[in-house]
Amino acid sequence: MEDSAIIDLYWSRDQRAIEETAGKYGPFLESLVWNILRSRGDTEECVNDTYLRAWNAIPPARPAAFRAWLGRIARNLSLDRWKAARAQRRGGGAEVLLGELEECIPTPRGVEQQLEDQEIASLISAFLRRLPAESRRVFLRRYWYGQDLKEIAAEQGCGVGKVKSSLFRTRKALRNYLEEEGIEL
Amino acid sequence: MKGERLFRILGLVDDDLIEEAASASSAAASKRRSASWRALGLAACLALVCGLGLFWFRGGGLAGIGFGGSAGNASSGDSGSAADDPLSTEGTAFMFYAGPVFPLTTLEEDAGLTAERALTWDFTPGTHADGTPRRRGATVADRYILTNPGPEAVTVTALYPFAGSFRELADLRPAVTVDGVETDAVLYAGAYAGGFQGVWQSVGQLDGSTLNLAPPGSWTDYKALLESGDYLAQALGDAPALDQPVTVYEFADFEAPHGEYDAATQAIEFTIDQEKTTVLTYGFNGGSWDPDTGWQRHSYFVPNGVRREPEKKVLAVLGEDIGDYTLTGYKNGGCNEGEEIEGVSCTVTRRETTLDAVLDELCRYFYEDYAGWQYGMADSTVEAVPYPLFRRAASELLTQYGVLSREATVDRYADGRLDDILSEALSQERVLYLSVPVTVPAGGSVDITFKLWKAPSFDYGCSGSENAGLQGYDLVTRLGSNLDFTRQTAAVANTEGVELVRQNLGFDLAAGVTAVELDPAEEHYYLEIRPAE
Repeated sequence: MEDSAIIDLYWSRDQRAIEETAGKYGPFLESLVWNILRSRGDTEECVNDTYLRAWNAIPPARPAAFRAWLGRIARNLSLDRWKAARAQRRGGGAEVLLGELEECIPTPRGVEQQLEDQEIASLISAFLRRLPAESRRVFLRRYWYGQDLKEIAAEQGCGVGKVKSSLFRTRKALRNYLEEEGIEL
Repeated sequence: MKGERLFRILGLVDDDLIEEAASASSAAASKRRSASWRALGLAACLALVCGLGLFWFRGGGLAGIGFGGSAGNASSGDSGSAADDPLSTEGTAFMFYAGPVFPLTTLEEDAGLTAERALTWDFTPGTHADGTPRRRGATVADRYILTNPGPEAVTVTALYPFAGSFRELADLRPAVTVDGVETDAVLYAGAYAGGFQGVWQSVGQLDGSTLNLAPPGSWTDYKALLESGDYLAQALGDAPALDQPVTVYEFADFEAPHGEYDAATQAIEFTIDQEKTTVLTYGFNGGSWDPDTGWQRHSYFVPNGVRREPEKKVLAVLGEDIGDYTLTGYKNGGCNEGEEIEGVSCTVTRRETTLDAVLDELCRYFYEDYAGWQYGMADSTVEAVPYPLFRRAASELLTQYGVLSREATVDRYADGRLDDILSEALSQERVLYLSVPVTVPAGGSVDITFKLWKAPSFDYGCSGSENAGLQGYDLVTRLGSNLDFTRQTAAVANTEGVELVRQNLGFDLAAGVTAVELDPAEEHYYLEIRPAE
């Protein structure tokens, strides 16, 4: 079913909307959440929560890119759940992902300008567009989809070492870019 | 954590970039990928991937690559084969299959006894072993009248099979009565009942690896497992002997700058001759290999008293010792060049023992200190698992599918991580057997009854399947049994509040038909219900 038709189901408050969403995007969401939480039980709950959020958000929302929109919800829910659990048991997929991203953050140097998250995301989008397509894809597969290095390497048809070095270069470049833009997180 | 904010912000990058990243890789890449997986399957050894830098996470890692592995099986990725056919003889292929109720058998091939069987599913609410009021599962009474037509008393060893895992044993273990008297039974456990399958590349498409578990998905899987009798013979036979010598390196007294680094990591590196040395690990989170040179690196998050992971860290080396090694501290589990840190240390002790001894030590540690937390099991639930059976299951898994099985090693265990072997020995589906000696007097009969809570087969609630909410139960009439059955019947009880959706038994609640005769020629019966709640 086309995304627009699924969204129409939400607008008409037809519960088949959730069935259609789960049928079309369930595996994608499960994979995305699993990459962050690494727990089957939490994954199932988070994906179900994503459907509930979608149900509550549409209407009034009418997302233009439904898959990415669902993915954002699932990512944020996963991160919230991971944070809640972190005090009790540390480790897991998110910890390493976030640890790697730390090095992209410029050191504080008194920059006054504070941008909202969406504005920073727009700048990062612009940065990503300047990258070679392969580097951009590898970066987002790692830090948007949370995939592990081996999986990315398999999908790109290259070695893990190449993926690691690509990520290293992109993180370093992103750090420099954010510093140049005066971004302080 | 600032990384967290950036992670959230990255979630907001433009949609087209997200879609682009999700788009398929090039055809050439796909081709190279499948070739490498084929090579992987053939290699079936520690040479997992050239230059590979795997990283595992507790309870995740390889287990998490591709959904559909432990959540089902190749044949049941899409459920509902019988959904449109209420007269189907096979029933629905559920996403989770709980296994059938098996018939009683005896150790003796031809004991000269006849048997009548009467099985009842009782759907009384609240029979769920955890005490919750949900109408989930059924209490099964599986009653046998063994009759001895001969002139002399006959003593047999009755064996009652039931499907499940050690993890659920406290809930699933049947209670046994002989002529109405509760009787102790000896428990035996068969090996892992399922197989392994590849990673889902897309719906309906698996790669050629053996990275995921493929538990039994239908009664025919159990038929294939049990029909020859080899499975039972193995369960009753001796455990694998693992008396080969090993050199054990144990790591303790950990220190690291935890305040500065959340995921401070320590790695050990060495180079081995892979023809002469096999390395097993326990308590390590990551590993890298270079199969061309024999270089290996194994790493673990330095225990910080907060992260709940095994603090026992062991390398068990079979064959030639690893020789010189280096220990390095890193900022995190990536163990990347340039991310080395100072202040990470531990004590390493080296000793020589046997594989049996070190495996027993690790099994005991896992069983007593870790299994309950990992699986959310109460102490009493862990203790319901006889330790020798768990220990044996770990040995079997290591020798049947782990690196000790050589050419039969599956990708899932090819890295030598004993953590996976031990935890999955506890959770994998298997057939267990209760053994009870029974003496049937000449010309007389004995009533032997097994009462158990039976979990249902089901489809996952979030799957969108039209069968979500259905509970499947089935039984097999002859599989694995050498008894001479003269009659079998089945009944349902306390069915108020349940709807019988599909079946091949012949119950008709509206007409008051709650007990039926079974056709001995029919191997398999199924019943699918939907609670009204």
